[in-house]
Amino acid sequence: MEKIVELKNLTKEYHKLRAIDNLSFEVRKGEILGLLGPNGSGKSTTINCLLSLLHFQKGSIQIFGKEMMPDSYDIKSKIGVIFQDVAVFEELTVFDNVDYFCGLYISSKNERKKYVEEAISFVGLQDFKKFYPKQLSGGLLRRLNIACGIAHKPELIFFDEPTVAVDPQSRNNILEGIKALREKGASIVYTTHYMEEVEILCDRIIILDKGKILAQGTPDELKALANIEEKITVEVNDLEKELIEKIERFKYVLDVRYLENRLVIVYKKGQNNLEELMDFFKKNHVVYNKIFSERPTLNDVFLELTGKELRD
Amino acid sequence: MTVFKTFWLIVKRYRAMIFIYTILLILFGVINTTNNDTSLDFTDSKPDVYLVIEDENIGLTKNLVDYISRQANIIDSLSVDGLDDALFYREVNYIITIPKNYRSDVLNGLSPSLVIKSTGDYQASLAEMILKRYLKTQEVLISSFRNEEELIQKINESLEHKTEVLVTSKLDSATLNQVTQYFNFASFSIMAIIIFIVSIVLSSFHDFKVSQRIYVSKMKRNTHNRYILMASFLYSLIVFVLFSILGLILFPNVLLSFRGILYFLNAFMFTFVSLSLSLLISKLVTNKEAVSGIVNVVALGSAFLCGAFVPIEYLPKSVLRIAHVLPSYWYIKGNEFLKLTEAFNKDSFLILLENFLVLLLFGVFFLFFNHQVTRLKEKKN
Amino acid sequence: MFWHNFKYSCKVLFRNKVLLFWTFLFPILLGTFFKMAFSDIEKNESLSIINLAIIQSEDFIQNEVMHESLLSLSKEGENQLFDISYVNNSEAQDLLSKEEISGYLDFFGDEVRIVVNRSGIYETIIRFVIDEIQSQKKLIETLIQKRVNEEIEKGNYEVEIGNILREVKENVLSQSVTLVNSSSKNMSYTMIEYYTLIAMACLYSSMISMYITNYKLANMKSVGKRIVVSPSHKISGLFGSLFASYFVGAIGLVLLFLYSIFALKVDYGTTLFPVIILASVGLLAGILFGVSVSVLVRSSEQTKTGVLVAISMFGSFLSGMMGITMKYMIDTNVPILNLINPVAMITDGLYSLYYYESFSQFTFNIVSLLCFSVFMILLSFRGLRRQKYDSL
Repeated sequence: MEKIVELKNLTKEYHKLRAIDNLSFEVRKGEILGLLGPNGSGKSTTINCLLSLLHFQKGSIQIFGKEMMPDSYDIKSKIGVIFQDVAVFEELTVFDNVDYFCGLYISSKNERKKYVEEAISFVGLQDFKKFYPKQLSGGLLRRLNIACGIAHKPELIFFDEPTVAVDPQSRNNILEGIKALREKGASIVYTTHYMEEVEILCDRIIILDKGKILAQGTPDELKALANIEEKITVEVNDLEKELIEKIERFKYVLDVRYLENRLVIVYKKGQNNLEELMDFFKKNHVVYNKIFSERPTLNDVFLELTGKELRD
Repeated sequence: MTVFKTFWLIVKRYRAMIFIYTILLILFGVINTTNNDTSLDFTDSKPDVYLVIEDENIGLTKNLVDYISRQANIIDSLSVDGLDDALFYREVNYIITIPKNYRSDVLNGLSPSLVIKSTGDYQASLAEMILKRYLKTQEVLISSFRNEEELIQKINESLEHKTEVLVTSKLDSATLNQVTQYFNFASFSIMAIIIFIVSIVLSSFHDFKVSQRIYVSKMKRNTHNRYILMASFLYSLIVFVLFSILGLILFPNVLLSFRGILYFLNAFMFTFVSLSLSLLISKLVTNKEAVSGIVNVVALGSAFLCGAFVPIEYLPKSVLRIAHVLPSYWYIKGNEFLKLTEAFNKDSFLILLENFLVLLLFGVFFLFFNHQVTRLKEKKN
Repeated sequence: MFWHNFKYSCKVLFRNKVLLFWTFLFPILLGTFFKMAFSDIEKNESLSIINLAIIQSEDFIQNEVMHESLLSLSKEGENQLFDISYVNNSEAQDLLSKEEISGYLDFFGDEVRIVVNRSGIYETIIRFVIDEIQSQKKLIETLIQKRVNEEIEKGNYEVEIGNILREVKENVLSQSVTLVNSSSKNMSYTMIEYYTLIAMACLYSSMISMYITNYKLANMKSVGKRIVVSPSHKISGLFGSLFASYFVGAIGLVLLFLYSIFALKVDYGTTLFPVIILASVGLLAGILFGVSVSVLVRSSEQTKTGVLVAISMFGSFLSGMMGITMKYMIDTNVPILNLINPVAMITDGLYSLYYYESFSQFTFNIVSLLCFSVFMILLSFRGLRRQKYDSL
């Protein structure tokens, strides 16, 4: 598959502090690549280096098969960026904002009008064209932010945490929009620290921590990697310590946690784990409210890999 | 306590501004604009004159130079290139050029004309009177006395008369002038730093979200308002005390007296008015960015219109009429009155009392207006 | 790209009310205050009619020369010097204590005493005039003496004193001298205040260019990041925005000029054309100053504004805005400061156009401003180049 972005041995240091440590990865044509990691893991720094906003010490960056430099205007013209902070002019209306940024890519005024209108409809702001940013709610503002980044129909789009502090409805709207962009053929790099989003959205995921890749692959590959197959959660009151210790000695059990009347058992693999557990409770006359088995999430993968929660 | 803390934090953040206004005040108090002698004997004012002497400085020419040197301050530290600039900036009021052959032309009865440059102000007018008087005398005498020595003698005899002058005022007017200037300028400093800080603090409290938070907090609204008022009052008091102490350091002799107490009382009244005005402004202006614009307009406007920068007697009558609606005018009027009053009797007290009353009314009016605005706003919410 | 940036920069700037207040309205307000406070200063500083009282007495009426001279000096007209009220002793004292007169004259015998409140210029003038009248008496005596002696020497012992007295008195009193006044007609020093105001307005325009340049910098605003990652050429985009700043600043300056000419009656000298050139170059210097502060000062927008205002105000102070003596002091003692202070260059340029006939000082100021501008461009370029490879 065609590589849109190729990053090799990228190293970026701030005053001896290594923010990115020998990082290599690629973005393939038409995929949504998720960069997942906690705050401070180097996601934004990586994107800023990719965009030549930051100078880096070592490594090489190729985009569309060419080396990326601060004045690589031909490359830049095919890129769209949606930054973490809302990057719009307070003094310009929704339409003027989109038109201004689109104008940095497309100089013909007539041609541009079509692009701008399309972008505004795409994010659903057609009723707000004459509004100033101050008059928009947080969610609408984020959508404007996106419209400004994609109006020129870029082939490669970077989303840097576009859903921070956004209400669920707008978030869904944004995620649907990103999928739609992929359908239209764009390749997308998406950074976030919300793993649910990555699971729904991304074709491939790279998990970053302290500037290094901890793991990468499709969501399923990652979960497989983590050695976890099943997680069983039981809502049960006043479970005795002895019983918990007995459960820990079950075959395939990796970890048992009992907190606030919730018992969580993580299994390495195996079948019939749920049955086995229910039998055990019956035998010991344990009464429980709810019991369910689930596939592990990326959060569990992250926990397994680093020993800490993704969401800080 | 939070209220006081917030106040203090904001004062700290804007300390550079407070510092600048204080420095300006000290500078203004120290600069002596009147070169009045403090002695009670009469001393003539002398215009600053520059002499360009193209003739040989002997005989009649020398006599003219000597005469002018006695009657005026001769400025000789200027370069000839800088003369025009010096004249424009009033470093010298009058420039007299004594032409070549002046002496011989006079003796030959040719009455040579002198070239002068003048600033046109009263100092220059005085210089011109001095020069003209000499030339007239010389002109009258030349027809009768052709001998140079005799002529010089007769000229000088005619000019030597000095009339007796009695000075009645016992006031140290130079120092009083400076004290008044200090207190007049203080109206600008007091107004600017009280309005600015109080408005910034209060507009943060009046900010809709914050005021909602205060509204739901356990502290009673009235208690909170009282704290704000107390903190603002305390801050204004500190400003007043600071400027008073500065004044005392600069002019201990004048201010450690009954007259001095009245100056302080006047300033205190004005501090009160400034505080009540700033409470009102902070109610009316909620946009923090607008505060510094408003402060500049109000403080600078009051200062310019009421005579804090330019002596009140130099202001146009029409401007002074407008100034009546500004509290600074009454404060400055009080200072000017204190500057000139010889003795404190019933009449002078009544005049002062009237001034204080007007200031008090301004303060009460601002507080009342502030109260009305508050009620109106509460109704709206 | 240029026009695209120009258009939107104008839109952005005209929407920013705080910025417009400081760059458009504030100088106009300040000018109005100047006008209100200063319009009468120079009138007050020229000699006005002095209020004088004379204590009515037999001695005064007897003193013929004094009587006549004071009468002629208080006659209404161009040469009126005194406004005299004739009063008794206690009235005179009362008028003096109320400051309604500058002094009063008390005649006794042949002599006169002047009573005043303090030593001052008006008091000095009163004394001077009285001295002059007294010395005229002396002069007349001297001349009569001389004439009488001459007649006696000629052998003419029947001298008609009356005729001689009349002749001599007329000769003395009608004697006048003419001086050639070669000072410039434009002597109004309060004009300097308005010139510093124009200069300050030029420098305040730096806030406009600083504001718009911040939008181009990725480390200042996220909008800047978006612009940096776009394929548009930085320089032409920046030029568009700067041209817009210049355009907006120029509108403010034109308004200020119109206001100063028609409402404030500021006198710019004989021709307006060089004044326009000077203001255009001054505005350029201000705009470029804002760009370099925006690029070089790595801090918040508030701090940058603080730096601009502080430097502009300090420059205005050194150029005489808070008292023109400061300008003269700098000009004569530390002229080197004027070579780095654009406010002084603009103020001095306007001053030289008003006061001098030659253009040499004006040309020097224009060249200084251009040098300053070029220096600002170089500084900005250096800063921008450094940011090209490390924008954040």
